[in-house]
Amino acid sequence: MIVATTDSLPGHEIYECLGLVHGTTVRARNLLRDVGAVFRTIAGGEVPEYTKLVAEAREQALDRMVAEAKALGADAVVGFRFATSEVAKAAAEIVAYGTAVKLRSHG
Amino acid sequence: MGADMHAPRGSEAEPTADQLLAMAYADGELDAAARHSFESRLAGDTALAREVAKHRAFAVLARRSAAPEPADYEWRRLAADPLQRGTLGVGWVALSVGVLGLLGLYLWRFLVDDSVEWVERALVLSATVGGLALLAAAVRARLRTLPLDPYRNVER
Repeated sequence: MIVATTDSLPGHEIYECLGLVHGTTVRARNLLRDVGAVFRTIAGGEVPEYTKLVAEAREQALDRMVAEAKALGADAVVGFRFATSEVAKAAAEIVAYGTAVKLRSHG
Repeated sequence: MGADMHAPRGSEAEPTADQLLAMAYADGELDAAARHSFESRLAGDTALAREVAKHRAFAVLARRSAAPEPADYEWRRLAADPLQRGTLGVGWVALSVGVLGLLGLYLWRFLVDDSVEWVERALVLSATVGGLALLAAAVRARLRTLPLDPYRNVER
């Protein structure tokens, strides 16, 4: 499954647009990790606990979007974007969305 | 040199039919009928669900192809450094004992304080028991679903 931020794909022709697909997740670390992260924010620098949290959420949202696109029979997702918001402290909400399309290869 | 040295070890053994099916399912290679059939088995087979989660975890890790950053090596050295480990261990134990001990002590003093009405004490006790029960349920749910979470090894 090709996932691209562009609206078209070089070497391919989009012949059918299947509509919006998206994947959403909200993930949190455990309390102990949050306490550890508090001390890291005092010292400065990267906070790996939260880097990991956001990365986990990003991958899960992406997979859910791709699963939705596959269920529609799509060959690719174009115009792909991530969006974030905050629904709870120390939780990462990520929405992955794009347009599912069917492709025909040139040549 | 015995012939058994060339026998396949555990990691080199041929995958079972279910393992191959789980791989194909995780990679989205099954047709609709096979997928529905597999999903109906997944609902009642925890071992199969874990196998799918394992393959999804591999797929998630495989698409992170960036090379390690210079600081990663120092993070690993720090994780193995006795001074760092000892400081963290002492810190966590002292903090946990202090916070949990204080909470328990304040709760106990409140519950045996005759100057506080029994209704108020009963309500605080109820809230404490309820909170602990909800926490236990949340931890139990997390522990049950943890092996099925393919994203827990994602680092960045």
